[in-house]
Amino acid sequence: MIESQRHSYHLVDPSPWPISGSLGALATTVGGVMYMHPFQGGATLLSLGLIFILYTMFVWWRDVLRESTLEGHHTKVVQLGLRYGFIPFIVSEVMFLFAFFRASSHSSLAPTVEIGGIWPPKGIWVLDPREIPFLNTPILLSSGAAVTWAHHAILAGKEKRAVYALVATVSLALVFTGFQGMEYYQAPFTISDSIYGSTFFLATGFHGFHVIIGTLFLIICGIRQYLGHLTKEHHVGFEAAAWYWHFVDVVRLFPFVSIYWWGGI
Amino acid sequence: MAMSMVRSAALRTALRGGSRSSAPPKRSFSSSAAHDDAHETAKWEKITYLGIASCTILAFVVLSKPHPHYDEPPPYPYLHIRNKEFPWGPNGLFEKKHEHH
Repeated sequence: MIESQRHSYHLVDPSPWPISGSLGALATTVGGVMYMHPFQGGATLLSLGLIFILYTMFVWWRDVLRESTLEGHHTKVVQLGLRYGFIPFIVSEVMFLFAFFRASSHSSLAPTVEIGGIWPPKGIWVLDPREIPFLNTPILLSSGAAVTWAHHAILAGKEKRAVYALVATVSLALVFTGFQGMEYYQAPFTISDSIYGSTFFLATGFHGFHVIIGTLFLIICGIRQYLGHLTKEHHVGFEAAAWYWHFVDVVRLFPFVSIYWWGGI
Repeated sequence: MAMSMVRSAALRTALRGGSRSSAPPKRSFSSSAAHDDAHETAKWEKITYLGIASCTILAFVVLSKPHPHYDEPPPYPYLHIRNKEFPWGPNGLFEKKHEHH
């Protein structure tokens, strides 16, 4: 931190990334609409927008890492603010996924006459909840245990053990995603097969998407741990990833119980 | 008075990420924070191994079961819904299974 600064807050430098991210989001939205309706150049604009957003994410977070790890701007007060900011973000994610689980239970608790008045709808062959769904749930919970192992290893100053623990966490996450892909591939129904297919793939698909985001987050933490960025006293990025990971593995229980199990028997 | 000050300080450090190892003089009870974390690390390592072992066994059990065969359902109007063409063509990206029929 700069010696002349008489407070512990981080006053950020002007940055081009908010406006570049906004322009990327605008191009993505307009490009997406153009692509889904018969306009020319929609796919190009959509791809450009997505590339712009991904680029912005990369350089913005690179700047944050420089500010915290190299320039020391993330004082105890700043770390507290980051934690306070991450909690409502996770709460909003829980509410986002809850909406899809609610859509599923809304459709299944009183099935309409258009789908035969039963759940699962007539003609839908559902997946056996005792097979891959039952296997994938403990896989994700085990990776939750592995991330706790990594956390204690960081706190105990066991740097190598923490890297191993993160490798275990990420490996279990990849196995989960692999099995989920296999399940989707083998599923006898698709997203366009009745309200069952729509709610099933929307809920499990968005959960799976969050698993992938969490996996990328943990991979970054693993690399940073390997490079020695994370210390006993200062590892907010890892804590955020661990919270996010627990959110993802706890939320897995909802689709497992309500969609696969209750809704599939 | 002194007790309450200690307590509020403890609360503050807990909120600020539980910087257990930041200030050695603040330790008030017998076991040291570093020792606790080492113990917890070993415990969670064992739990992880237990989880991996049981998931591996479960994976063998689940994957060794034969694949169920599904009959093609009657063409109910709510199945295989198509309201308009996809930007890339007539079929969904992951719908190979419908091409066989």
